[in-house]
Amino acid sequence: MKTNSYKIDWNVIDKYMPELLKGLSITLEISAVGMALALIFGLMMAVGRLSTNKFVSRISNAAVQLCRSIPLFVLLFWVYYGLSLKFNILLTEFQAGALALGITGGAYMAEVFRGGLLAVSVGQTEAGLAIGLNKGQVFRGVVLPQALRVVIPPTVNVYVGLLKGATIVSVIGVSDMIYVAQYVSLDTFTPFELYTVAGLIFVCLTLSISGFAYLLERRLGRSRAHG
Amino acid sequence: MNDNTSTTSTGSTFFLQLKDVSKSFGTHKVLDGITLDVAEGEVVAIIGPSGSGKSTLLRCINFIAAPDTGAVIFEGHTWKTFHSKINFLANKRYQKKLTTLRSDIGMVFQNFNVFPHMTAAQNVMLGLTKVRKMSKAEARKAAESALSQVGLSDKFDQYPEKLSGGQKQRVAIARALALKPKVMLFDEATSSLDPELVSGILEEIRRLAGTGMTMVIVTHEMNFAFQVAHRIVFMDQGKIVEIGTPEQIRNPIEARTKAFLSAILN
Repeated sequence: MKTNSYKIDWNVIDKYMPELLKGLSITLEISAVGMALALIFGLMMAVGRLSTNKFVSRISNAAVQLCRSIPLFVLLFWVYYGLSLKFNILLTEFQAGALALGITGGAYMAEVFRGGLLAVSVGQTEAGLAIGLNKGQVFRGVVLPQALRVVIPPTVNVYVGLLKGATIVSVIGVSDMIYVAQYVSLDTFTPFELYTVAGLIFVCLTLSISGFAYLLERRLGRSRAHG
Repeated sequence: MNDNTSTTSTGSTFFLQLKDVSKSFGTHKVLDGITLDVAEGEVVAIIGPSGSGKSTLLRCINFIAAPDTGAVIFEGHTWKTFHSKINFLANKRYQKKLTTLRSDIGMVFQNFNVFPHMTAAQNVMLGLTKVRKMSKAEARKAAESALSQVGLSDKFDQYPEKLSGGQKQRVAIARALALKPKVMLFDEATSSLDPELVSGILEEIRRLAGTGMTMVIVTHEMNFAFQVAHRIVFMDQGKIVEIGTPEQIRNPIEARTKAFLSAILN
């Protein structure tokens, strides 16, 4: 049998761990920048969708639907190669990867934010307006802080999604952890060990992020009860 | 129905006036040509069956609900709904102007609507710092004094979660009063409270009436309305059916008022 000829050799991990961790730090960085962009895009699109202005809400809605339905893989190619070919906009691999993650994540975050904003009762807005705050002050001081609490668990989900999505950026040559596993295994012929360890690192990472989110949620939970 | 204004208790100039205010939600006309004058220092109670438009009327006074037609005249200034489809700057200017009206009109809601992410003191301070432009220290002092006046001197730094319904409503009253409003609107302020907490809030409103505050009160507490109000407004199906002093409304002219009161009071 062919599979028997593959000898599992974990020693390769010891040797290449520093490389893998360097790749991991790139993965973390690109997903963090992507998430930051996703938060900004997402909030903008969510506020846009909830706008009373029909034009604004329709445009935002269309943007969300579009960004959500483009596969990240395709989006990466458009952002990295498309922008440079058609518009002469040159982005580094990292920038293009982060931007593509931000666009995809933004579409998901738009839905998350919209849900969070809608979860805050109209009475809160009315009370804010009644004391003479303007709409912006009501949004920033009253509605948004309450929406953010509701939004934490699904936001963590989106981030975990982005973190895993960040493994695809290797296709445009970002040297993330998967990319490292790939090129090291070309030399060592040990893809099984390298991908397994990379996968385990992802599992640990995801679990600790979820744990952190749980603690955060509990800490903020004290003021979450109905007012 | 408007010639009852001679029965106002104080002053002859209208402090607050609603002029032919109408509002619909979809095809349902919630307010149908409401005209009402309130004198300075007067307490007006609005009564009527559920869905008669009482709360919407109150909301139209500070444009939390924008009237479709008609005007609100407050201290000689006429306010009408304004919305431009194209001129966003004009909308923004109008919204900004509205905040000056709203900051002079305090409002207390049925569901309290205290801000759950802020302590009692922070709830009161928000308007003081953002609207009245006080420093944090000044606002804190004013907030403490407002909260003490409603009997919450030991709850400054409590979150609403830890407060009873009655205490939340007191925070809401303090939040409104701290801004030194010229009119107070009460929208069924006791309807969500446990029965044993109702009288405390009613006492608070009565105390406020004693200070000469101009007030418009929507309530289901009939006895309270008849005791505290200078005039009673009976509304049904978006219209004012009858206005009069408590004595006049106790012996109503309109059959509908009579039917409502006898159903309620028995």
